[in-house]
Amino acid sequence: MNCPLETPESAQVLLDYCSRQLAPASTEILERHIAVCGACREFADNQRAVWQAMDAWEAAPVSADFDSRLYSRIEAQSSWWELLVRPLRQVTTRRAVPAMAMAGLLVAVGFVLERPGIVPLPPPVNGGDRAQVEQVQPEQVENALDTMDVLAEFSRQVRADTPGSKL
Amino acid sequence: MAERVSTNIGTAAIVLDRDTELMLRVKEGDGASFAILLDKHRSPVIHFLFRMVQNQAVAEELAQEVFLRVYRSRATYEPTAKFTTWLFRIATHLALNALRDGKNERLQERLDDDTGDMPVRQVSDHKPSVEQSLVYQAKMEEIRRAIAGLPEKQRAAVLMHKYEEMEYSQIAKVLGCSESAVKSLLFRAYETLRARLAHMA
Repeated sequence: MNCPLETPESAQVLLDYCSRQLAPASTEILERHIAVCGACREFADNQRAVWQAMDAWEAAPVSADFDSRLYSRIEAQSSWWELLVRPLRQVTTRRAVPAMAMAGLLVAVGFVLERPGIVPLPPPVNGGDRAQVEQVQPEQVENALDTMDVLAEFSRQVRADTPGSKL
Repeated sequence: MAERVSTNIGTAAIVLDRDTELMLRVKEGDGASFAILLDKHRSPVIHFLFRMVQNQAVAEELAQEVFLRVYRSRATYEPTAKFTTWLFRIATHLALNALRDGKNERLQERLDDDTGDMPVRQVSDHKPSVEQSLVYQAKMEEIRRAIAGLPEKQRAAVLMHKYEEMEYSQIAKVLGCSESAVKSLLFRAYETLRARLAHMA
């Protein structure tokens, strides 16, 4: 076989061999190669040494109260949620629907009664027009009507004075 | 992971591992199944996090967050991957965030002065001499520093490969990269470790 150390891709085979993840057939072939290849033998020996050293690194034991702390946190979060949801749960769905409908109706009635003088207007063409309408006073309307009467009278007189007029 | 359970969802038959089946029970409100999962995975998760951040208190704090997230996510859990893949994905994500936030750096000085997180190893006569203890502590310190010196993703890959005995495909799913990227990460990581630790043989 070609030396696995020739390329990083094939060197992976040596790692698999050292971690005993290589298939038996491949292991046999590699071991035959390692027996005659000093570089691969050194690689495998060093890798085993690294793994032995890492084996010696033991993790500390877990705190005895780890579970109780976790369950306390879970319980605390559940309690927080329960506090929010409990009032809603006490009212069953069958009772909640008419109650909510009644509440909605009361709000709507209250809203209408609170604004008795407002008569719905057709949507304005633009904001400026709407502002103009809201600013018209009764005196202005009367003045406008008077002006229109004067203009109408003037038109009648002009038509009477000019027989061929199309006005 | 030998125990497997088959289930049918629609027309597709899905083979669920035992942990996934337990998690689906948790989803249905079975607290006892959560206790079983916690009991089974508590130590591996804490040990992985301890070796990642190299501080027992931080590791346990992160592990609490891992299991809290598992519990909180129960309602939306979908068995799209092995349970352990999902679990270690959460753990790795939290560990990498903690390292990047510098949470661990703030504790590093304390760690340098405090070897209390390292377990006291019992040697053959159960009464290690002062010299043996010092040699052991020095060896552990060297290993600890060699692992800590690895880039974060290489470190996570090595720890999952060595201590959790995960396959390349599973490590790839945890780290969110390709299998060939994992092999490359591991090769470079072990290359560094061989240079630093091979003399310990």
